Amino acid sequence: MRELLPSGRHRVAVASSTAPAEVELDEPAADEAPEVDRPWIVIVWNDPINLMSYVTFVLQKLFGYSHDKAEALMLDVHHKGRAVVSSGTKEKAELDVFRLHEHGLWATMQQD
Amino acid sequence: MAFLFRRTIQAKGPNRFVVHLGREERAVLRAVCEDLAAALEEGDDNPNVRRLFPAGHASDPDVDRQYREMVHDDLVRSRREILLAVAASADDQELDRPTLEQWMVGLNAVRLVLGTALDVSEDAPPDLDADDPELPTWAVYEFLGSLVDASVHALSATFEG
Repeated sequence: MRELLPSGRHRVAVASSTAPAEVELDEPAADEAPEVDRPWIVIVWNDPINLMSYVTFVLQKLFGYSHDKAEALMLDVHHKGRAVVSSGTKEKAELDVFRLHEHGLWATMQQD
Repeated sequence: MAFLFRRTIQAKGPNRFVVHLGREERAVLRAVCEDLAAALEEGDDNPNVRRLFPAGHASDPDVDRQYREMVHDDLVRSRREILLAVAASADDQELDRPTLEQWMVGLNAVRLVLGTALDVSEDAPPDLDADDPELPTWAVYEFLGSLVDASVHALSATFEG
């Protein structure tokens, strides 16, 4: 997975009927798809307390994954430190992160 | 984990689970759930409780602060409901599936707070002397771990997706 780099930031002058104003615009980097097309991903991070059996079951319960798929994701988290467990719209990712936090897992979201 | 001679939580069907715990053990799990529910209600800002409110956005502190402000009250409410439900059913001999799931999640939350206080790592637990002041906390932590694991196994055995 790649790191997210800050996109280029440019100041542009905008004329208005009353007074000139300055606004900041984010310019997407050339190799990135438009903002709306890039899905959000939800990542679960390794922690030393949650039991492996518990993490596997929570992934099955929240996402409807088979035991084998949930266990493979849990093992990725355990051995590699993290795993992407779901992706989709920003709203879906927010709900997924919330439910994972409710269950005590370390989860974050970011745009892919 | 130590071998158990009988399952602490036994699945009798997808919606029926028998809990084999003594009165003292039930008193402990009710007490730890009530304590954490009270700490959450008081807005206790100790770092061990903060473990229950992790970052939602790793790469942007501003977005993360907004996220935490947005969900914090909902997380507190949901946690307290679960913990109080566990405390209220602590003496029950049989649990239905939703209640056992509350046990699993609620006891795991208590375990996260205790484990953070004990600074648990991936290594094996330390050898403690009999008079070590952390010994009782370790004992409760291990007890809750065995209960969470027993809950997971009972629920998994009857999981229908």
